[in-house]
Amino acid sequence: MAKPMSRASEAQLIPISFTLNGRLQEIDVEPHELLLDVVRERLGLTGAKRSCDVQVCGACTLLVDGRPVSACTTLAFEVRGRSVLTIEGLAENGKLHPLQQAFIEHGGFQCGFCTPGMILAAKALLDENPDPSEAELKHFMHGNICRCTGYKKIIESIMAAAKTMRSGGQGSSS
Amino acid sequence: MLRRFRLEEPEHVSQVSELLSRFGDSAKIYAGGTELLLAMKEGLVQYERLINVKNLNCRDVTLENGALSIGALSTHRELETSKTIKEKLPALAKLEHNVANVRVRQVGTLGGNLCFAEPHADPGTLLIALGAKMIAEKSSSQRELDAEKFFVDAFETALEPDEVLTKIVIPVPGAAGRSAYLKFGYLERPSVGVGLAFNLNGQVSSMRIAVGCAGPAPRRVPEAEALLEGKSREEAERNLAQAGALAGRAAQAITDLHGSQDYKEHIVGILLKRAFLSALS
Amino acid sequence: MQFQKEVEIRASREKVWQFIWDVDRFIACVPGCKEAKTLEQGKRYTATMVEKVGPFKVEFPTNIEVLEREEMSRIKAQASGADNKIGSRMKIDLDVNLREQGDNTILGFVAGVNILGKLAALGHGIIKRKADQVLDEFAQAVKKQLEGDS
Repeated sequence: MAKPMSRASEAQLIPISFTLNGRLQEIDVEPHELLLDVVRERLGLTGAKRSCDVQVCGACTLLVDGRPVSACTTLAFEVRGRSVLTIEGLAENGKLHPLQQAFIEHGGFQCGFCTPGMILAAKALLDENPDPSEAELKHFMHGNICRCTGYKKIIESIMAAAKTMRSGGQGSSS
Repeated sequence: MLRRFRLEEPEHVSQVSELLSRFGDSAKIYAGGTELLLAMKEGLVQYERLINVKNLNCRDVTLENGALSIGALSTHRELETSKTIKEKLPALAKLEHNVANVRVRQVGTLGGNLCFAEPHADPGTLLIALGAKMIAEKSSSQRELDAEKFFVDAFETALEPDEVLTKIVIPVPGAAGRSAYLKFGYLERPSVGVGLAFNLNGQVSSMRIAVGCAGPAPRRVPEAEALLEGKSREEAERNLAQAGALAGRAAQAITDLHGSQDYKEHIVGILLKRAFLSALS
Repeated sequence: MQFQKEVEIRASREKVWQFIWDVDRFIACVPGCKEAKTLEQGKRYTATMVEKVGPFKVEFPTNIEVLEREEMSRIKAQASGADNKIGSRMKIDLDVNLREQGDNTILGFVAGVNILGKLAALGHGIIKRKADQVLDEFAQAVKKQLEGDS
């Protein structure tokens, strides 16, 4: 609950506590701060990118309680009491997530700018639907745009990772 | 970077209403923020206060007295995955499944979508075809608005400045009920949308057609409905082209980046035909 | 964006012409226009234009300059302004003409409207409709003012 400061001239600070990549974070944010800015500038995690800035391209995708959101159009205080996953939190103890491994093996990225968002969105997809059809995959991933690859390799990477994860390959559930 | 604003977090509709009355144009309701925050980032609007309504109890989807009651704070994702909606109003579940992208569906609310009244949006059009009613509340009272009267103009609804949309109530169609919504677009937002609903008992009856996205607000097109109402299935199919042309002209299509007026009118006709045939099957 | 409007007014050409130069009354006919001031009679004026489309509001402090004038028949003017809050600029090229039709006067105008900056993000179509509405209301207000007089 926001506790407004009593003097009008002072900034309204909202103390928020949330899990970031599995660890507890406690910070104060002003209501107008955007999640993308807090994650990139204050918390130093620059995997999420500011690209279109209008929630259309997916380069800023973060997972909040396992679900994809556009960090560029999310107010930071909205993650209070929730868990946030960035691309930096995907690998566990240095071991790459099957999605990361698959993107490398199948050429799922070129310049890499869309990739953190792409992989996080794919993770949300596979956590919800471990065996998606290509149509289901395309529908879910429709909001993540890539300028380099033409998408074929991205689809292959995700499908390959899905196969690995279904056969008991390592997958995290945070 | 957004301009600084104060956050208010009321727990009851009456408090929201009071805040809106007290602060007028300098305060705005904030739910999912998928439209509002964009406009604020662009600098097109500025507010001293945002009223976070997500603590209000307006998120349930329930079935009562043959009608589906949808809390205004339901997100598109909640609606696309709702078992009740998939069963009773599959056309609405399908529409919600195709709104924007997965991230917008995750946090964007149906109420917010309707109240922002962006012309290039989907839900309003089908809700008009389904004969939905919007429930608007303020401090001491509540009223019902027909969906077809709710959208006044681009970005303008019939809500009063201190009113809060809390529920959308949709009559559940009977066994003879058919409905469909089709849209067309190649930009981020839809360019043309057509929704229809009718009963089929040998004859077409209670025909309702709505066109959205093409003009400043979604609207019902009685001119086109008349060509299909009371007709046999075969006769209605024969009248589809003409109904489509009428619906196109009635759409008040405006030429913009989504296409010329002519082009949109043409697409309305095509979507009407396809939606009708799809509803039949 | 180009607009063309014509309205027939039950008043003489002289009366209409005079009305145009009665700045306060004339400006009052433009919906959303207020605080008209004369800087140089017959040549330069200022006003504030406030327009709203849903939640989107613009306020343009406007400079109006009369470029050409043919007594009793034609005025060429230009209005320009900027809304720094929103980051938009507006420019209107206005051609006003009067001609007699029996005892009545046909007041016609051609307006070239240019909106630059963030407001254009709202959508060309929406702005066009709004501008069209404003000009329609303006023409009707002028007619009403003049016919109400007699």
